Amino acid sequence: MAVLPIRVFPDPVLQEKSAPVEGVTAEVSAFIDDLVETMRSSPGGVGIAAPQVGEPKRIVVVDVSAHRRGGQEQNHGLLVLVNPEILAMGGKQLVREGCMSVPDYTANVQRAQWVLVDALDRHGNRKIIESLGFEAVAIQHEMDHLDGILFLDRVVSIKNDLFRRKKYR
Amino acid sequence: MGHFSLSVVGRDRPGIVAEVSRVLLELGCNIEDSTCTILSGQFAMILVIAHREFSSVADIDPSFEPVRKGMGLTVSVHALKDEEVTREKRFTGRPHIISVYGADRPGIVHSVARELARCKVNITDLNTQVVGAQDRPVYVMVLEVDIPEGVDMKELEREFDKIRKELSVSISVRPIEALEL
Repeated sequence: MAVLPIRVFPDPVLQEKSAPVEGVTAEVSAFIDDLVETMRSSPGGVGIAAPQVGEPKRIVVVDVSAHRRGGQEQNHGLLVLVNPEILAMGGKQLVREGCMSVPDYTANVQRAQWVLVDALDRHGNRKIIESLGFEAVAIQHEMDHLDGILFLDRVVSIKNDLFRRKKYR
Repeated sequence: MGHFSLSVVGRDRPGIVAEVSRVLLELGCNIEDSTCTILSGQFAMILVIAHREFSSVADIDPSFEPVRKGMGLTVSVHALKDEEVTREKRFTGRPHIISVYGADRPGIVHSVARELARCKVNITDLNTQVVGAQDRPVYVMVLEVDIPEGVDMKELEREFDKIRKELSVSISVRPIEALEL
């Protein structure tokens, strides 16, 4: 296992559309281990997408269980989503997001309150996952990375929603 | 490398940023950091600019004469010491949002800011507005603050309670919980 270097905007890989994964091979599985380790090595990190480490593959990892607020909500612990598709979403919530790949800003982004996601798990088994609250935000943010979308693309108002980051931990 | 602060204020209309940035480009100045907004119809710009060689205000200030005369804008330039300019916004405490609102009356900003200063809480962002009907104005203030470790939150709450009663305002303090993704 290894902590991989994080690609930071304006690295072009962050604006690419990632390719589907053909199958969860031993190699893909080892890469997922590295993604998890990279996410955990970032202070407060609760999610990461493969393009953030320079691999344009449709893989995201989310774990909000250690987050102060996210951990108090219903969550799945460590979620590995390969080739995820959103089947349905509903409701609205505004959450302050920060991104390892855009280190200078945080922003309030409007996201769905709940999502229903179809994906392969880390063993290649198809699963349907229903997620709510902070975990659902993390899934939507990470899935955006697979389509080359950054949270800055979703900011509605500079004055009300975009914040210069005040704190590096 | 010389750094300067530049502020520009004047009646809002299209073309202010175009004109100010043209002067800066022709001088060879870089815009390092800036924020611009409209306050009650006045366009307000504050910029930190840098130049490879300039070190004196006199190298820059005269170039803004056409902007002052032509557009009626107030422009001021100040030299900054290099050690005063940091790119990192490093704060060591815990970020919080404080929102304050109530019927408009004197002293709302000062009462809250005075308590924060006494507790050594740094205000990192502040917006105030008067909203509501003309005969029933409501004052709204939103602050982003950095609360250092060791600040007694209960004491801060007690002081805010006094302000709530004294000025009949609502004050809420909540941590900023960003999701790191």
